[in-house]
Amino acid sequence: MDCPESLRAQAYFDGELDAAAAAAFERHVEHCAECRTTLEDHQRLRTALRADLASEQAPAALRARIGRALDREHSHSPRAWQKRPFWLGALSGLGAAAVAAAVAFLVVTAPVQDPLVDQLVAAHVQSLLPDHLIAVLSTDRHTVKPWFAGRADVSPVVADFAAQGYRLVGGRIDPLDRQRAAVVVYQHGPHVINVFSWVTDRRVLPRDGTQSGYHLAFWSAGNLEYCAVSDTGWAELLALERLLREASRAEERPE
Amino acid sequence: MDEKRRRFEAEVLPHLDAAFRFARWLSGSSNEAGDVAQEAILRAFRSFETLRGSDARAWLLAIVRNCHATAFRQAQRRAYVPLPETYEDHDGEAMIAATPDPESLSIREDEQRTLTQLLSTLPEEQRVALVLKELEDLSYRDIAAVTGVPIGTVMSRLARARAALKERAREESAGGARGLS
Repeated sequence: MDCPESLRAQAYFDGELDAAAAAAFERHVEHCAECRTTLEDHQRLRTALRADLASEQAPAALRARIGRALDREHSHSPRAWQKRPFWLGALSGLGAAAVAAAVAFLVVTAPVQDPLVDQLVAAHVQSLLPDHLIAVLSTDRHTVKPWFAGRADVSPVVADFAAQGYRLVGGRIDPLDRQRAAVVVYQHGPHVINVFSWVTDRRVLPRDGTQSGYHLAFWSAGNLEYCAVSDTGWAELLALERLLREASRAEERPE
Repeated sequence: MDEKRRRFEAEVLPHLDAAFRFARWLSGSSNEAGDVAQEAILRAFRSFETLRGSDARAWLLAIVRNCHATAFRQAQRRAYVPLPETYEDHDGEAMIAATPDPESLSIREDEQRTLTQLLSTLPEEQRVALVLKELEDLSYRDIAAVTGVPIGTVMSRLARARAALKERAREESAGGARGLS
């Protein structure tokens, strides 16, 4: 592509030159091997692409779906295409964040989407609203841990890792999959980390991942499953997971 | 069927295949492409009056592109992006890549790629220009209108896309894969 005419060769190949310019280029190409090669390369690529891809057609089902959608357009309901459940509007009184959480909860998009992920992100977002984060405010694990007894269905590991930068700030109960999940709340710098825990059930834990800007780290320890959710970095989140796993192991060991 | 619907079916619907193909190239999935194509057709129908003599296919493809951009932004907000298996938390570089780039992953993992896959490794703006030219045979002027850039930019994107594919195909055939030459 060193010949200064290479863009002109492309324009010629694409049929973009007028008759005079095309004739001039044809004279040029007679004694420019490089432009001849360029034209041949373009042609090879075009042939291969068209052979591979050009024949794809819209599925018949899509065509039928579009036909029905156009029929509905006729019935003069300008907003029919939005198809939003009416009660979503009713929820708007609860504030934008609540609606966002509700939408995050309700909208299931890709098949890989695990409803548990949606629930956890919604619960995390909810916890960031004023006065939702903490039910028992304490930096003392000996206060937080007994508080869960009788309130949650689980008794998770609770530990303060202030020395490592994860300050225990409290706990609360969140409904999760028909369980009362225990949530231990940590503060890491400016970031809140919610550590959810629930009793192991039949499901396969989702993979660690990111949704709506929040990272979710899953693990299981003993008969419990855990998920740490935060907008902190992965390294910070996984470091807390390591600390909690170690704490679980220490708890399991007989004193 | 009223007059508007009849004219729409005659002038715009014949380009549904092109709209679907283009949406597929933009989104990389048939399911999403169907949704995008349907949304684009409905939007096209609602603003059919604005077509007025311009090329119906280029006009529809421009709408497809807008619909895809909207859908893409929405999907990005709510999609669950798994942490790559290869992530190791002592690797300082990997921490930055909270959102893995699926294309670069596939380049590393998949040594033997077909032309389709080669095409998907191009930057989106180059891929779009090339698809519009080679598969839909749009003129530079129409590609410029669909993608919202000057004709000169269309020309350089096409040139870069073709050069990159040629180069990658050459690398592939050196590795024994199905190539262009």
